[in-house]
Amino acid sequence: MHLGVKRAMRLLSCAVLLISAFALATPVPANDQACEQCLGGGLGAPIKIEVFSDFECPACRVLFMDTMRQVLKDYCTPDKVCVIYHEFPLPMHKYSRLAARYSLAAQKLGRQQWLSVVESLYEDQAVWSQNGLVNVSVARVLSPLDYQKVQKMIDDPAINQSIDRDIALGQKREIQSTPTFFVTALGKEQKVVGGLPYNVLKDFFDKIVK
Amino acid sequence: MAAALRILHWACRLFLAGVFLYSGYIKVQSPLEFAGALSGYKLFPDALIFPMATYFPWLEIALGVLFLIGWKIRYVAIGGAALLLVFTVLLTVTYLRGIDANCGCFGFGDRISPRTIARDSLMLLPALLLVFEARLKKLAAAETSVV
Repeated sequence: MHLGVKRAMRLLSCAVLLISAFALATPVPANDQACEQCLGGGLGAPIKIEVFSDFECPACRVLFMDTMRQVLKDYCTPDKVCVIYHEFPLPMHKYSRLAARYSLAAQKLGRQQWLSVVESLYEDQAVWSQNGLVNVSVARVLSPLDYQKVQKMIDDPAINQSIDRDIALGQKREIQSTPTFFVTALGKEQKVVGGLPYNVLKDFFDKIVK
Repeated sequence: MAAALRILHWACRLFLAGVFLYSGYIKVQSPLEFAGALSGYKLFPDALIFPMATYFPWLEIALGVLFLIGWKIRYVAIGGAALLLVFTVLLTVTYLRGIDANCGCFGFGDRISPRTIARDSLMLLPALLLVFEARLKKLAAAETSVV
């Protein structure tokens, strides 16, 4: 009897291991990719990072300044990492939607303009989140011509619709706080809530793309 | 008494197997999220976080399997108890340092709190029971012979 129980437990543990192996091989769920645009890399890159963030959230600032900025610099090539930023302004933040509109408008001008605007918005976060002068941070880093273009674009309903689509996508993907990001690699998607040091992501990337 | 001890033995083993298998499985599914939880403790160097997040869950799974199989159970129980003790100390130290971190114990929505510390401490009990099982048996046998 005792031997029988032992054998049964061994079989059970093998079954548990097999089930775990199947679960680990679960394919990535299909996502709504209609509004996705890589801000570096290409959609065919082996690693995809989708960030849901809010310009007024301090943790989003840390994630961008300490981690994503470096990722964009070091890994965003078509054969490495594709970074997608989704705007997810939280209702409690008064000016984050306006900042998101500036960011999307700058994105339409080009990657460099977008990067400058986002860096400036995060650098000045403590200022404009108090006085609401988001445009001052944007004007500081764009040429007068680009700034004029951006000022026109932020009133375009398409920009607001794009933010609404991002918010809807975030809700669909059960985002409960910002920043939250999804890393898709080797057919598997991982959701990370909060920040992650650059070196940790670097170790992960280097395992997949050298 | 012997039957009660045997039931207790199996209950402890199955409970600990479940705990370690589940917690290892959750972390293996999402090493990056576990890495995020580990970095939240503000205790480990960045260079160690990803390797820890990658390999540590497999140690938990191995312990879970060993608890199920029951091979060298006393040593496995000592390992399990040591691990749970380390977790409890880590959680307590982090909580006392005033860091609002994700526990990363059984999923990733749990913040470190007195509740998570108490939960991990309580899990030590079944592991300790398995460690001191032989002594308990001896005591029970002695009691029986006296009666």
